[in-house]
Amino acid sequence: MMKEILSIKDSAQEEINNTDNLDAVQNIRIKYLGKKGILTNKIKALSAIAKEERREFGRILNETKDYIENLLIRKEALFKAAELDNVLKTQRIDVTVPGCFTPFGHLHPTTKVLDEIIEIFLSMGFRIEEGPEVELDYYNFEALNFPKDHPARDMQDTFYITDDVVLRTHTSSVQIRIMEKHNPPLKVIAPGKVYRCDADVSHTPMFQQLEGFMVDKSISMSDLKGILEVFAHAVFGPKTPVRFRPSFFPFTEPSAEVDIGCVICSGKGCSVCKNTGWIEILGAGMINPRVFEKVGYDPDLYTGFAFGMGIERITMLKYGIDDIRLFFENDKRFLEQF
Amino acid sequence: MKASIKWLREFVDFSLTPAETADALTMAGLEVENIVPNSRDEDDSILEVNVTPNRPDCLSIRGIARELSAILRLSFKDNIISIQKEEDAGPSIEIKDTNLCPRYASRIIYGVQIKPSPERISKRLESHGIRPANNIVDVTNYVLLEMGHPLHAFDLNKLAGKRIVVKTAGSADKFITLDNEKRTLSKDMLLIWDAEKPIAIAGLMGGLNSEVTSSTVNVLLESAYFKPASIRRTSKAVNISSEASYRFERGADINNVVLALNRAAQLITEIAGGKITKITDNYPVPFSINRISVSLKKINDILGINIEPSDIQEMLTAIGIENKIEGQGVTVVPPGFRQDIQRDIDVIEEIARLYGYSKIPSTLPKTETQPLSQNIRWNLIKKIKDSMRKSGYSEVINYSFLNPSDLDRLKLFKEDTRRELIKIKNPLKKEEEALRTTLIPALLNNVILNISHGEKSLRFFEISSIFLHSGQDLPIESLKMAAIYLKDKKGLMWQDKHDGFYDLKGALENLFFEIRIKNYLFRQDFSLIEPYLHPGKSCVININDRTVGFLGTLHPEVADNFEVAPEINILELDIDKVCSLISPKITYKPLPKYPYIERDIAIIVPENVTVSDAEKTMLDINTDIIESVKLFDIYAGKPIPQGKKSLAFSIRYRAGDRTLTDEEVNQVHSKIIKKLEDSLKAELRS
Ligand SMILES: [Zn+2]
Repeated sequence: MMKEILSIKDSAQEEINNTDNLDAVQNIRIKYLGKKGILTNKIKALSAIAKEERREFGRILNETKDYIENLLIRKEALFKAAELDNVLKTQRIDVTVPGCFTPFGHLHPTTKVLDEIIEIFLSMGFRIEEGPEVELDYYNFEALNFPKDHPARDMQDTFYITDDVVLRTHTSSVQIRIMEKHNPPLKVIAPGKVYRCDADVSHTPMFQQLEGFMVDKSISMSDLKGILEVFAHAVFGPKTPVRFRPSFFPFTEPSAEVDIGCVICSGKGCSVCKNTGWIEILGAGMINPRVFEKVGYDPDLYTGFAFGMGIERITMLKYGIDDIRLFFENDKRFLEQF
Repeated sequence: MKASIKWLREFVDFSLTPAETADALTMAGLEVENIVPNSRDEDDSILEVNVTPNRPDCLSIRGIARELSAILRLSFKDNIISIQKEEDAGPSIEIKDTNLCPRYASRIIYGVQIKPSPERISKRLESHGIRPANNIVDVTNYVLLEMGHPLHAFDLNKLAGKRIVVKTAGSADKFITLDNEKRTLSKDMLLIWDAEKPIAIAGLMGGLNSEVTSSTVNVLLESAYFKPASIRRTSKAVNISSEASYRFERGADINNVVLALNRAAQLITEIAGGKITKITDNYPVPFSINRISVSLKKINDILGINIEPSDIQEMLTAIGIENKIEGQGVTVVPPGFRQDIQRDIDVIEEIARLYGYSKIPSTLPKTETQPLSQNIRWNLIKKIKDSMRKSGYSEVINYSFLNPSDLDRLKLFKEDTRRELIKIKNPLKKEEEALRTTLIPALLNNVILNISHGEKSLRFFEISSIFLHSGQDLPIESLKMAAIYLKDKKGLMWQDKHDGFYDLKGALENLFFEIRIKNYLFRQDFSLIEPYLHPGKSCVININDRTVGFLGTLHPEVADNFEVAPEINILELDIDKVCSLISPKITYKPLPKYPYIERDIAIIVPENVTVSDAEKTMLDINTDIIESVKLFDIYAGKPIPQGKKSLAFSIRYRAGDRTLTDEEVNQVHSKIIKKLEDSLKAELRS
């Protein structure tokens, strides 16, 4: 009897393993577990067995039945899964069709760089102020210690509206407007468009600047260096060398020009840096006491610094753009890269 | 300013390479922009020095050399000038306006021989950008380069008398300069006269009537100091910018007048022969000496350093500034060639420069912490840009200039205030002579450019100021946004499925959501619409009943005028107005507790009934259980009769305090249907 059960189990198992479709599995179930199935018959035949053995064989037969049933279920599941799989595969879509969306647009590269720069200064406690693009000669020049008939005015080719009204040549005019309205301490940045009547590969008649200035009771040139180094390292990387060299602006004294190690050649020398290894990124200095006098601050009480940078220039250096005019042509192929 | 290394070495004995020399000068504030080979001398290099307007003393070889000797702490070897034989008297000089000309000196050289200069002179002139003429003129230019002081040589025989008068033009209104140009004078311009007539525009250019030519025998040499502002005004007025005017308007050294004169006289006799007369030096009121005291504490405070008084003295002495420590300060007397040093801060700058900016430490300001102050307007603009970007629009930035004829192309009415242009007196181009009063033409031009590159679909926006007449000195600057959408005619179904108008409208509605603007509506009003928009396909944008912009399809005629496709839609928004209408407060509303009931309704209405008309009609029912009305279909065409269209809405009903019954909803719903039938002549679609 035992031997018989085992051989039923083996043959059932072998047949199940060899099935290749769902119907065959169903036939095996009928053959072994159906109403007249081989195993069913064995179970029916139990009553003919001696009482003391009946219990033991009953257990074994039931286990065998469960075992075969289990095999059948697993096999069935396998075939059903394969079948569904086949159906689903016929419902295939073309995944290479472009996605269904309006592609994002792009912010102008100078907007991206300006935002980045502004964040740096906001985090250092500066606040944003703005001023008019069409400006009185007084705010653009006179109060910034560019007297009329002074050659310092040649430093900036100016568009005139009238003799007393200009398109501002720099955002430094905002310094005067803010200082006239507020008392120190001041920590301000002023972004905006500026104009110079000049046009070639490196000049456009309009460009953007960011002015920054700080006025308080004991601001020193070393503070100016500290702030601008934080800025340069944040924008161009913490290892970028930064140097300050003497220069001249009527509204700052001492004045400085700030260079960074050439980002193109890493200081080895190339055409961009004219083989000096250095690239100028901004002008700065301690606010000239003459400017404080114009706005009614006591130059013996207050000191301050100011700096100004060209946003296009910094964007060009950051992205390796070699023609400033690209910023205002608005060629989609250019804009899309940012 | 070009400076030959070899020439510099005549004044200071330095052994640095040209690159090292350039670096030393640059780091002391005399930026060397280029080092180029000397085309006239292969053993020499030329430094191109960017001399800032405050340092006219460095507009000469001698000046740069003097600076170099100070930086390198090497001794300075000045020219040895000695006039051997002085015979006869010099010319008589009368200065009528000593304010404009505080000093005028002159010598006459009799019996010169005009010929080309020797090579040592002519090559130097050429390598420094000056074309040689004859030995006399060349010497004046040579001394200008070497000593920075402009000189002029007159042909004495062409002058009336041995007499110079310095006075303004007065009634003389025309003058021919030696470049054979007839110049128009104004009466306050300073001229040099002989006994009878004008012979030069002071400090700018000599006259043709007294020019040194090949037949010249006797020369009157001028060395003077003219007031910078006056030279500059005249230079701008007559449009002459010369090597001389460049130096005079920045400030020559009044103490250099005689030195330069003697140097030139000496050189002339060396290369052209002749006999030198005695000098006439008219210097009625000598310049006063400027004494400045500087507090030692202030030096250290402003620079953020700690420097010894002895170091300060050493540096000041090196650049020729007399100095003396007195108590807690230093008293200085700048040399005559440093007219830029006038007050203590100027002295502090000199100390900083020589101390070396690189040695100043980097610190962060010690100030009280202040709360972060937000610029609300700036933040909003940032949000607006980002919202447009997310709707697919790319930011462009155009010049603020306008070509006035573009306003005709836009069909603006004659009386439109945007035709009152702010004009630039000195534009670069005629097409850029005015400031923008509208952003639209620039965007249309952006479209044209990109179409020429083969682009078919474009979404652009710009946020910039326009400039409107205010009646005051400064115009009104009003911040505007304009956006433009060019729809691809073929349009990929999954990308450009919307009509262009609705694409832009959608972008704007997203934007309004982003900046929390709620009470907006789009209104068609033929009386208000922009002349460059298609009247049937455009609308006014209102927020709280104020007009803040326009949205619509480009007028076909305007599209023709700009030669662009008419499938262009335009959005214009007044950003300043929009910013003033924002309600930034968010108030939480509790979530509904009771379920909703939704009913759809489909109606057939005359074509001119708008979706908004239908919505308003439905919402106008006197009940509080309508939660929302949403359009889900618009259809025209068969089987809908001609001149009519079908609109389908989902209406969601809900009460805040109870579960609605079907009966309640049915009641309101039939009221809605009745209202639609009555006010819009709607028919229920079965
Ligand atoms: Zn480089």
